[in-house]
Amino acid sequence: MILPALLLALELTGHNDEDLARRLQNREPRAMAELYDRFGRLAYSVTLAIVRDPAATEDLVQETFLRAWSRIRAFDAARGALGAWIIAIARNRAIDYLRSMQKRIEANSLGFDPADHPRLFNDTERNLLNAEHARLLQSALAGLSENQRRVIELAYYEGLSQTEMAEKLGQPLGTIKTWTRTALQQLRAALTAGATA
Amino acid sequence: MTCDELRPEYEAFALGSAGEPERSDIAEHLGRDCPACTEGVAAALSTVAAMASFAKPANPPRALRRRVIAMIDPSAARSRFAVWLPWAVALTLAIAMASIIVPARRESAVGSRLAEAFTILNDPAAKDVAFGEPAKPARGRIFLSPRRGIVLIAANLPSIPSGRTFQMWVIPQSGAPIPAGTFRAGAQGSVVYVRSGPVPPAAAAVAVTIEPAGGSPQPTTTPFIVSRL
Repeated sequence: MILPALLLALELTGHNDEDLARRLQNREPRAMAELYDRFGRLAYSVTLAIVRDPAATEDLVQETFLRAWSRIRAFDAARGALGAWIIAIARNRAIDYLRSMQKRIEANSLGFDPADHPRLFNDTERNLLNAEHARLLQSALAGLSENQRRVIELAYYEGLSQTEMAEKLGQPLGTIKTWTRTALQQLRAALTAGATA
Repeated sequence: MTCDELRPEYEAFALGSAGEPERSDIAEHLGRDCPACTEGVAAALSTVAAMASFAKPANPPRALRRRVIAMIDPSAARSRFAVWLPWAVALTLAIAMASIIVPARRESAVGSRLAEAFTILNDPAAKDVAFGEPAKPARGRIFLSPRRGIVLIAANLPSIPSGRTFQMWVIPQSGAPIPAGTFRAGAQGSVVYVRSGPVPPAAAAVAVTIEPAGGSPQPTTTPFIVSRL
């Protein structure tokens, strides 16, 4: 089930990613507190929505911040979006955990560890997680077909591969691929349009 | 596969739902900084990141903030460490010089272990070396603080039969490898292994081999991880 957008990310606007990233790179303890204060709640919410186990969620969030702290030196402070990076790490850990608990075979949920690829978050819009984008995304989600919403839910919250979704929904793999691709493209188009409006 | 062939898979890759061989191929393209795939996956990842706003807001326990901050600033949670101390001592005695696996659900052990890890990571003198190459699926990172110890973060470790264990070694610039503890990996071949305590001086590399349970005084197999410092 896609959970309702409640504009959780309001608290994430108006901060300076570059300054915070540089202080993290300089190993300032207070910077870690600030990083957690900005993104801890969102990381916790996303992780809990996936694993649905508060105790495991706490461990995974702690591990998320460990990974971020250990990889921050590779983060481009001038260009990177801390929030998107942290959330990608958190979701990766949550999906890995979910698959591990379900004894599914994938060794790595995303085929890569976002913590090792901070450059993928260079030039990502830093206000991506703000309330306006949440509203745009929620509106775009409502415009998706039922099938598109379903594959997004299964991928985002249950970590199913496209092959698993095809089996679960009794659809050809090509159809699942099309639904996934077009759904995410529609969501992205909504964000892009919002950014340029 | 070519970038054109992979382009329709960027969204699924970002969601973590891409199948094989597309998933591995995109990862390989990203690993060699392919501009087209980096740009395409980055765009898809930004959309997936924005989807975090779909999650129902939940308030983490206050203790979690302390746990996270204490990992890098023990003084911020000194009282909590006082409470932990007997547990940490008991844990350390129990595991002695052996492996330290961080399973996802063992809170107190994980918290303590991660705190130890951060003590090492926070040492300004700590060296930080990544390992992994295409021919060997194991990949990860090693942090070595000469005064505080070694943290090994690894994924895709090979599965090993019962009766065998992973063993870490410090390779000095001259002389025989020095045992640095044994450990086992989690279900997915992932492990965070912390070896606290001063590292033998003049360490030139850290290696990992597969050894009989209990470890060996010297390596009996070829290392599958060798990370030069």
